[in-house]
Amino acid sequence: MTNRRAFMKSGAMALFATGFAGGLPSFLARAADSHKLSVNYKKGKILVCLFQRGAMDGLMTVAPYADMQFKAARPNLYMSPAVTEGKLFDLDGRFGLHPALDQLFPYFTEKRMAIVHGVGSPNNTRSHFDAQDYMESGTPFNKGTASGWLNRAVGLMGHDATPFRAVSMTSAMPRSFYGDNESLSISNLQDFAIQMRGNPMAANLAAKSFEELYDQTSNGLLNRAGKESFDAIKMLNVNTIKNYKPAEGIVYPASPLGNSLKQIAILIKMNVGLEVAFAESGGWDTHFNQGTANGAFARNLKDFGDCIAAFWKDLGAYQDDVTLMTMTEFGRTVHQNGTGGTDHGRASCLFVLGNDVQGGTVYNNIQSLAKDALEDGRDLPVTTDFRSVFSAVANTHLKINNNNVLFPTWNGTPLKLMKA
Amino acid sequence: MPTHRFIKSLTVVTAVILCTAFIPIPAKQFAKINLPYSKAGLSKQQAAAHLLNRFSFGATPGEIDAVVAMGLEQWLQQQMLASMPEDEVNKRLSVGYEALALTNEQTVNTYVRPDQLLLIAAKKGLANRDSVKLAANTPEYRSQIKFLMDSLGLKPMTELHKQLVNQKVIRAAYSNNQLQEVLTDFWFNHFNVSLTKNQSQQFVLTYERDAIRPNVLSSFSKLLEATAKHPAILAYLDNALSVSNDNNLGNPRLAALAQQRLNKQMDDMEQDSTKKNQAKLMKQIANAKKNEGLNENYAREIMELHTLGVDGGYTQQDVTEVARAFTGWTIYPISDYGGGSNQRKLLERVGVSTLEKRGFIFQDDFMFRADKHDAKEKNILGEKFNAGGGYDEGMRVLSVLSSHPSTAAFICKKIATRFVTDTPSTDLLKKMTATYISSKGDIKSILLTMVEHVDFWKSATKHDKVKSPFELVISAVRATHADVKDPFQVFNWSTKMGQRFYYYQAPTGFPDKATYWINTGSLLSRMNFGLAFATQKIPGVQLNWAQLNNNHEPESIENALTVFSAILLPERNQSENIQRLLPLVKDVNIGAKITAAAQQNTSSEMVSTDMLQMEEPKRLNARASKSQERKALSKKTRQVLEMPYTAGTNSPIAQVAGIIIGSPEFQRK
Repeated sequence: MTNRRAFMKSGAMALFATGFAGGLPSFLARAADSHKLSVNYKKGKILVCLFQRGAMDGLMTVAPYADMQFKAARPNLYMSPAVTEGKLFDLDGRFGLHPALDQLFPYFTEKRMAIVHGVGSPNNTRSHFDAQDYMESGTPFNKGTASGWLNRAVGLMGHDATPFRAVSMTSAMPRSFYGDNESLSISNLQDFAIQMRGNPMAANLAAKSFEELYDQTSNGLLNRAGKESFDAIKMLNVNTIKNYKPAEGIVYPASPLGNSLKQIAILIKMNVGLEVAFAESGGWDTHFNQGTANGAFARNLKDFGDCIAAFWKDLGAYQDDVTLMTMTEFGRTVHQNGTGGTDHGRASCLFVLGNDVQGGTVYNNIQSLAKDALEDGRDLPVTTDFRSVFSAVANTHLKINNNNVLFPTWNGTPLKLMKA
Repeated sequence: MPTHRFIKSLTVVTAVILCTAFIPIPAKQFAKINLPYSKAGLSKQQAAAHLLNRFSFGATPGEIDAVVAMGLEQWLQQQMLASMPEDEVNKRLSVGYEALALTNEQTVNTYVRPDQLLLIAAKKGLANRDSVKLAANTPEYRSQIKFLMDSLGLKPMTELHKQLVNQKVIRAAYSNNQLQEVLTDFWFNHFNVSLTKNQSQQFVLTYERDAIRPNVLSSFSKLLEATAKHPAILAYLDNALSVSNDNNLGNPRLAALAQQRLNKQMDDMEQDSTKKNQAKLMKQIANAKKNEGLNENYAREIMELHTLGVDGGYTQQDVTEVARAFTGWTIYPISDYGGGSNQRKLLERVGVSTLEKRGFIFQDDFMFRADKHDAKEKNILGEKFNAGGGYDEGMRVLSVLSSHPSTAAFICKKIATRFVTDTPSTDLLKKMTATYISSKGDIKSILLTMVEHVDFWKSATKHDKVKSPFELVISAVRATHADVKDPFQVFNWSTKMGQRFYYYQAPTGFPDKATYWINTGSLLSRMNFGLAFATQKIPGVQLNWAQLNNNHEPESIENALTVFSAILLPERNQSENIQRLLPLVKDVNIGAKITAAAQQNTSSEMVSTDMLQMEEPKRLNARASKSQERKALSKKTRQVLEMPYTAGTNSPIAQVAGIIIGSPEFQRK
């Protein structure tokens, strides 16, 4: 009971905050009236997923520098904490963090960020398309799964939501979001309005007409979606977005990822009901000259780390509500190839950042990197199923408990990397 | 020219002989068909409108009358023959569409993937791999690559994608064989492949052209076979790589070593309770390894998505057995680049006739590799397949699947859902399924049973089918006779509204239900599309509102609303829509004219923003009578109001039409 009141109250506050004039938006009213509104609904928990497309070299990002077999396999790419070998941040005497992630390292020492290493899929495909497909559908041996795992996650939350519950900052819907539960893919939040270029008066009149027409239509689906659209426009307030200023001293890198994370921060701060957000980062397919402390890989990693750090700092007081998890379809070969890069491999690593994360640890089951211990004699073996990480985060942070639905065909147990 | 081309005609002949046994029973005489629209309370006019709504991408102006005049049955017959001349489409596709006529072989050797291009560059010595990547974004690199491509006659992959996307828009908007195009859209989605997969993207165009379009009105079994053998499906669902596990080509010493290590690790972990989870994972991976050569993706999806349906009564065992039957079904090495050319040389050296004696089959670009096929006995859906069946096993699987009762039910439900309602009745499905079985999957016969059922016509009044974004954009183009000079802009809008066609990643294809298409974000995009389209803010898409009304200037804005509602939404009940729009339209009218005048006379004193603000309260008072209204207005304003309703791209008509196109009524079929 208290929760429902809390929800309505905060909902109303959100309206004032965004300058909404008029009645309660219909989806909020519906949520408030609905018997489906779960008693254990706790407003404000948000999961941000960041997909690194192209297969990030986990072994360069978080290097098992102490393993001399590793050094032998990558004579030109090897790095260690030594000043002469790239100055990795030493994490635990065994693994070292790439210097380009200097902005993220403090979160590891503060124990707010966990690293999971040796993560991947039991399906050993080394095709980007297939591996991304399997990771996003959450069913590594079944291509025909219609829904994505994040869409199922949304469905399992068991309470009504605003149209901004699941938002992907991409121009087309990602595979993770495929499915029956409503989700939104949008690359620019400012598009969220009735628009007529250079003619704002006409746009206003058209909006008024549309609102009326959708309000009156006999088709239930169009009627409801129409109402929600107009409530959502009022709630989102394009002007607030246009004039958004990040927290004092925060500058987002001027990159696509920076832009995506900034917009996610806006949605979080606007209190519009965001619960699952999705963004992408590209350029990880480093077959050629990936470099070490400098070079193509380091530059991309720097952008990645700086964007996440800017986002995290910008969140300020909202940090308690948010967990950010990164993922990539597979890792890269232990050995460097003939062109100063690495080829498609198996396991990689991922990051989980949040105040309810048991951070400061590199969770892993990695053994030696001797050739006969590698998968197919060449790759870091997958020793942690990606689903044991995804489910752990979803279970604790989003309070979803039905892992049979979240990851059908998987009967493993979640990794204990979140605070109980 | 590869030798396998010569024997193509031979295999086609044998295929025809083999197929005669499965030739579907032809559809019954069209003259005898009975369309029970009056039982559903529809006039002939309304019935024609409904027919066009479902079997075309939307009526063009005057088309309903034309269908009534020629007879609904005759129109159906004409559409099912799909042999109307295509002058308009051919004209529009005559320049800039070189890819449409290419074979698979020409396509893969012209439109190279970026990864192939890099290899070619390295191989030609024009650039070594390192310097290519290092300089990836410099002008030198780009000019070097351009020179390389020009000298080899190569073209960028994006160009292939663009031609594919554009031709779909052009055909849907302007084809005279509308039913064929609607069905091409439907069956492509049923047997979905995607441009997002690197390995299949070069074949998507020929897939639609050769495997889908020519078969959409023939029989289901033909479609199934054509898709099963096309490089696009073979690559997209990985069957091209699926080989018998008995043909282990890996390093046996290394494999044995790895197995030993794995076994030991798993034994150790089993002892340790904290590592049970990891042990489970290792076992799963080991299991996958054991079956490394066999790829079950196509076997699973052909049953789950293409034929039987997920509840169609097959087991995991059937999936594995079907996968074994399809081992060796692959693509002839047609690429000049990468490993393909070496493989081809090898095949050519051995010779086609020798290979055929060994059980190889060559048909177009499909190849059956007997040496990769699992020759052992199989048991599929309760039928025994004796050892050594070779290529014929796969053909028999296709036949078993297309004649299975579960397939009949699954396919008929999908057709009824697309063409009648999201929730078809059991009676309709029962009748359609019976026709599927009696006609051996003849698509025309199934469609005829559907239109002979009263449910098809009853759905006309409900309008519960919502247009997909693609259907929406094309219906707007057709309803207005718009001239699409840049079809890619239409594609961009479809993407914005949630349908990036040819790029749907999963083999399920786009879901066919209203709830999938309609949500907050997509609905706003639909409204914005209506406005952008009608006010000609979409580059390369032109239309002429005045001409649509035969250049008659409407006598009032009310009259304009009535006239253009009827043009855009023929045979719908307009009165309610008009009632609601009327007060708003008056505002739109004045607003639009002021804006238009301002645009025409930017330096003139006739219009000022002051006037706009002064007049606003009056404009919004819709109840004031016309004379009162006019009296209250200044002379200048009256001049503005007397401008034609169709003047300029932001004319009142354009804005009102934009609202109609974005309105709920226009979203429904």
